[in-house]
Amino acid sequence: MSGRISTIAKQTFKAAFNNKATLALTLLLGLSLCLATYVGWQNFKMQNNQRLHYKAMVRAQWLAKPDKHPHRMAHYGYLAFREKHELSFFDFGIESFAGVSIFLEAHKQNTVNFSEAGFTNGMLSFGEISVAMVLQLLVPLLIFFLGYNSISAERESGTLKILLCQDVSWRQLLWGKTMGIIGVCLSIFIPLILLTILLWASLSHWQISMDSALRLLLLVLTYAIYFFIMSAVTVLVSAFARSSKSALITLLAFWIFFMVIMPRITQAVGVKIHPSPSKIEFADAIATEVHQQGDSHDPNDPHYAAIKDSLLKAYAVDDVKKLPFNYGGYIMAEGEKITSKIYSSHQNELNKIFKKQNSMTTITGFLNPYLSLKNISMALTASDFNTYVDFQHQAEAYRYQLAQKMNKLQIEKISNIKPGDEEKPLAISKSNWAEQPDFNYHFKTLDTVLSDELLALSALTFWLLVTVILLQYSTKWLKTI
Amino acid sequence: MKKNRYQLEFKLFFRSSSSWIGIFVLLITGFAGLYFGKTFIARQEAVIEKAAILQKKNTLKNIEHFGDDIGLLFFHNKFTLANAPDNWAAFANGQRDINPYLISVTMLGLEGQLYDTDINNPVSLLLGNMDLSFVFIFLFPLVITAFTYNLLSEQKESGIWSLLRAQTNQSFQVIWQKFLVRVAVIFSVALLLLLAAMFYLALPQDVTFLSVTVLILLYLSFWFAVSFFFISLGKSSNFNASALIAVWVLLCIVIPASFNLFLTRKYPVPEALQNVINQREGYHEKWDMAKDVTMKPFFKHYPQLKKYPFPEKKTFSWYWYYAMQQMGDDQAFASRLAIEKKLASRQDFTDIFAFFLPTIQTQLGLNKMAGSDLATHLEFQQAVRKYHEQIRLHFYPAIFLNRDVNDTDIKDYKLEKYNRQQIPHVWINMLSVSLLTMVMIGATALNLKRFNS
Repeated sequence: MSGRISTIAKQTFKAAFNNKATLALTLLLGLSLCLATYVGWQNFKMQNNQRLHYKAMVRAQWLAKPDKHPHRMAHYGYLAFREKHELSFFDFGIESFAGVSIFLEAHKQNTVNFSEAGFTNGMLSFGEISVAMVLQLLVPLLIFFLGYNSISAERESGTLKILLCQDVSWRQLLWGKTMGIIGVCLSIFIPLILLTILLWASLSHWQISMDSALRLLLLVLTYAIYFFIMSAVTVLVSAFARSSKSALITLLAFWIFFMVIMPRITQAVGVKIHPSPSKIEFADAIATEVHQQGDSHDPNDPHYAAIKDSLLKAYAVDDVKKLPFNYGGYIMAEGEKITSKIYSSHQNELNKIFKKQNSMTTITGFLNPYLSLKNISMALTASDFNTYVDFQHQAEAYRYQLAQKMNKLQIEKISNIKPGDEEKPLAISKSNWAEQPDFNYHFKTLDTVLSDELLALSALTFWLLVTVILLQYSTKWLKTI
Repeated sequence: MKKNRYQLEFKLFFRSSSSWIGIFVLLITGFAGLYFGKTFIARQEAVIEKAAILQKKNTLKNIEHFGDDIGLLFFHNKFTLANAPDNWAAFANGQRDINPYLISVTMLGLEGQLYDTDINNPVSLLLGNMDLSFVFIFLFPLVITAFTYNLLSEQKESGIWSLLRAQTNQSFQVIWQKFLVRVAVIFSVALLLLLAAMFYLALPQDVTFLSVTVLILLYLSFWFAVSFFFISLGKSSNFNASALIAVWVLLCIVIPASFNLFLTRKYPVPEALQNVINQREGYHEKWDMAKDVTMKPFFKHYPQLKKYPFPEKKTFSWYWYYAMQQMGDDQAFASRLAIEKKLASRQDFTDIFAFFLPTIQTQLGLNKMAGSDLATHLEFQQAVRKYHEQIRLHFYPAIFLNRDVNDTDIKDYKLEKYNRQQIPHVWINMLSVSLLTMVMIGATALNLKRFNS
């Protein structure tokens, strides 16, 4: 049984490469893939090196600041750069659309700025070529071209009858053809994976991490499943179609609808159903809530008046100037605590809305394997929305920690008596600055990534099951002539 | 006689269900594009209206909170300029999703505020907007392909062609007529959608409308020419379908996408990151320096402000503070120009490259007409610079003299709208698409010569 399948597969594989057009197309695709890999890899190195360069510069400048008031340092703040995951040269995901640098300062949460998309003209709406894009969009097209007549041509030439008479079952035929087409794909895919492994290892300076290795392994596996699904669909369409021509037209229409039109529409619908606030609305909502909970700028604010009273009572003094610590720093620490809590809750709310918008596209993965693979691939290469949100979280946590560290220095080391208008400002030693660690982004581990992508993974599994079942059991509805 | 044959061809065309499917797909996606495009822009308009209200509200609130200290008031108070969308923006959303259309700035250093982005869902940016220009650029060519790829091959494959050739020596006329019928249908659908857009988006009937219409029709003609070229090769239906899809994939996806990658590689913009650092250092380092270091260049920049006495002795004064802020901008001046230069060279390179690619050419042309391209955004940024400078110079004296807030006209400042100064033209885009169409027609003519002989 399996011997026959492999014979058919081998035959299909050979026949594909005997066709000069297929050979040319495959070679062309393989070549453009290698080119995309190489340029993507170079881009990655250049962009990441730039970010690392500026990261080091920011750190050096921070450490070199002279003695000053800690609150000045809190306003001087820090610049954080979004580092790329070493696998992101494989799939750019949202990389070009997400900001690169964020300014972290006291009292204020800034946006992540300078996305590549902001520097380009309308060109980017055509996409960016990456290995993932070629594998997701163009390889299926190759599969369709290879396989649209895999069964229908046999039927049209009359060989199908002969094959089936010779004790070959429909099932064997379908599986054999599918395997043959996958074989052609693998002849491009396997060298590419080897190249990817090589480039990835060089990016990690030949010290590969287990986490990344597993990510890559899963990538290879999910892409292989995707190719299988596409090949099986092609063979099935070819088997059910009236003619080779109608099989080709059906497959091309599928390709256009599922890969070009659908992603835009699902996202547009998602955005329409779950509208997100604009920046000014977002900022206004936060400002209103801050005002309600306590406004450190308002001397008559009840929240801060209560704090003041309790402090005066506890230390048994009649003026904040007599407190044994810096009162201004204490109030700022309290203000930072309140505002950042409010900000974070609004930011989480916003990200939830964005997630809901995206969920439309994720759920559509059950109809459209392309979308589910796209999501999985972005997640595994850490170029997805969740990683971006995680970066924002870590940057905000760092900002808060920096601001509170400076407030603490102020509370502990700055005199409570303000100097006169013409006196030297208060300052602490620059040796304190080194206590604030550098900002380093830590990527999520694979297990969190996988649990986040459960829906997309199950959509792809669903498709795998459906195609296997169809290859096994749909044969009774097939017509020989 | 001839007229009758056209009528017959139309009848034949409309009898096929696939013709109707093609037309419906275009109309439905076209209307969907119009709807989503308009929704997107209407939302931006609503936000701008809201921002105008908030601008007033926040100014009053700031006066209430910080009114005693004019320097502190202007530290907090923001001024907003909106890039008001043209009605055409709903037709081609372009970069309006990526670039901020509302820029709110305080009087402090501009370089630290100008590049702040809107809050966006990056996945939506990645997948792109659905608007009518998308339907014209991506979907129309596909339907043109579907309508025409088998005009000749189908006749051949069904055996009609040899019969026809035996009966008349003008056999190709028949194909040509079938082809013209399809051109007429596609052009009608395109014009219908443009007409719908005109009413739905309230587009004025002016030169812009005419230019867009001409550009789109030229673009569609290009695809008809490509299709006719493949017909003239006289290959099988399957070959034609595969080849035309391959051309579409190349022109609409692979080449532009590869070009993007190349562009990022060739023109990286590290200047943007450098600019942030320059601005930040330029301002912050002044805190630890003698006041002269700030004030000398400040008065050199603004000699007219010298007449306001500077409180040398005071450890801190708003005068000094705003001058320090100005130093941040001044020290980022070179890097700012470097960004502009880099972006300009990117644009120049794109323009040259796009000359050979009708898809990019048309998309860029439509975005340009709709005011949703990068150039318009950069002009908007310049307008913000100008507005910011004007506000600075207007309020500096009041701050430097520590005047009462109520003596200033801050309450009169409301949200300002930026509107494009000049109407763009797309002659180059039209020329490029026409030339490429001509090339395709020339190649087809050569083929036909061989075909007839």
